[in-house]
Amino acid sequence: MASTTAIEVDELTKRFGDLVAVDAISFEVGRSEIFGFLGPNGAGKTTTISMLCTLLKPTSGRALISGHDIARDAAAVRREIGIVFQDTTLDDRLTARENLVFHGELYGMHRRHLEARSAEMLERVGLADRARDQVLTFSGGMKRRLEIARGLMHSPTALFLDEPTVGLDPQTRRSLWEYAQSLRESEGVTIFLTTHYMDEAEACDRIAIIDHGEIIALDTPAGLKGRLGGDVISVSGKDNEALAGEIRDRFEVQARLEDGAIEFRVDRGDVFLPLLFSRLSTQVETVSVRRPTLDDVFVELTGRQIRESAADDTDRLRTMMRTGRVGPGGGVRPGGGRH
Amino acid sequence: MAVQAPDRPEMAPPAAKRPLMGQASALRVARVIWLREVLVYARDRTRVFSALMMPILMLIIFGEGLGNSIGSLAPGVNYRQFVFPGMVGMTVLMTSVFSGVSIIWDREFGFLREILVAPVSRTAIGAGKVLGGATIAIFQGLVMFVFAPILGVHLSLGVMLQLLPVMALMALTMTSAGIALGSRLRSVESFQMVSNLTIMPSMFLSGIFFPVNNVPAWMEVLVKINPVTYAVAPIRSIALSGQVPAGTSGMAAQVVSIEVFGHVLSTLESLGVLAAFGVLILMVAVRSFRAQQ
Repeated sequence: MASTTAIEVDELTKRFGDLVAVDAISFEVGRSEIFGFLGPNGAGKTTTISMLCTLLKPTSGRALISGHDIARDAAAVRREIGIVFQDTTLDDRLTARENLVFHGELYGMHRRHLEARSAEMLERVGLADRARDQVLTFSGGMKRRLEIARGLMHSPTALFLDEPTVGLDPQTRRSLWEYAQSLRESEGVTIFLTTHYMDEAEACDRIAIIDHGEIIALDTPAGLKGRLGGDVISVSGKDNEALAGEIRDRFEVQARLEDGAIEFRVDRGDVFLPLLFSRLSTQVETVSVRRPTLDDVFVELTGRQIRESAADDTDRLRTMMRTGRVGPGGGVRPGGGRH
Repeated sequence: MAVQAPDRPEMAPPAAKRPLMGQASALRVARVIWLREVLVYARDRTRVFSALMMPILMLIIFGEGLGNSIGSLAPGVNYRQFVFPGMVGMTVLMTSVFSGVSIIWDREFGFLREILVAPVSRTAIGAGKVLGGATIAIFQGLVMFVFAPILGVHLSLGVMLQLLPVMALMALTMTSAGIALGSRLRSVESFQMVSNLTIMPSMFLSGIFFPVNNVPAWMEVLVKINPVTYAVAPIRSIALSGQVPAGTSGMAAQVVSIEVFGHVLSTLESLGVLAAFGVLILMVAVRSFRAQQ
């Protein structure tokens, strides 16, 4: 079934000394699939993506991209893939078009295709009118789009996106996603991405959840949520501690305190709510019922929330570095030359 | 746990034919890397000017200040005329070595990763980097020619055409040194410190500022193991061939040439020594560049 499989991973393992960063993971990704790799920071997402992109040698196990072995045929794998790293890798003193043409040259594209293809890709990501502007005038979202266009310049089978939307505002993130999805359609490319944003995970065809280097779940977003079943009830009152205590005692549910509300899962929300009000003595101020989200699945599986907050500081710094305001180490980049 | 990818016949395009792909030859890779270096340089005017500031400052201080008290060094050669070719060499030297910092900038701003993950030979990338830096250095050196008439040095077209390959050889050698440093050092600050520590002694002990055939023995050793010496001497003897005709011996030859073990090196012999240094340093540079990450 080589023609419908873009990525095959078999018992892939990476150890750093005693630490097992990725522990014998196996999965397959089909052609034109958007495959999300989800997990808390340090779970092994970036290590996995680095191995698949041949930037890191696996300790053991095997992976094939379009039939090419990542360990034995790195050059062939690199021709088959496009990579968008967490941090920008554009030359911001070149124009958008030049960045693409440069990439095409390095990847051995035929000269006569370079101009047409770069124009086509810039059009696809909505940067056609900025083709001749230096990248240093671009916003963070525009740079990401340009990087995605560049990653697809040489028509790879698979595009790897490592946390592509870190540091972008929600609106930019959404539009980036629209571009990614339309590119999947037009280019027929497989998209493999890591993320810790739940809304992005929802938009994937399938999701693998990785924790402590192991894949603990792999399914469609609907499948994962369906596995959990039931409804999530969220209540709050004047005294949440007491309220949570009473709910636990009376209904035997796993009630967690979260952001000033108590959350727990029941089989049927519509049946449960009348019971809740009739039996509860502590005062309730607000109640809501919702379907389980991927976040709930994640909490159920890992016992943790996806820690978006943990990444906040690095995100902010990264964003500043991307926009070119601060150099690594905090030094301000000289406006003029790089001697 | 092996998970089967779902069958998605409706989504699976035929194994995409890739009319766009080829394999970039080493030459093409080196060319595009070279082109990018030159393009980025040309867009950065402050760089063009700031690279010239130091030699111009030196020309004024040494040429005017020292020149007036030294007078003539040999028949037909006064100090201003003597120091001019040295300044050309100094411009090439400094621009070449400092070009190595581009690797550190590229690393810090991520672009180096884009280059290094491409399925191309790193030797070709390194070669492109060396050629790019050298091209810029040669250009900066050529700009210095505009000061020749002011200093009383007559540069005919023939002389300029002879100077070009010498400057090119020097630029390639010194850019290699810069690339070797840039590949090994991780921060711009350490690059600046190390390159200054390298450039300063090699500049002062190369004959750029004063004739080096009559220096104390310990200094002579340092001068003779300094590759810059073998670039400055030919640049000077060619540039001053209008003042000191070829084949001249005695005082004038003493001033413009370099003597090793009692033998006055001809221009070609000097270039031979420089080329040997160049190959050696280039090998170190390519090794350092390949060893990254």
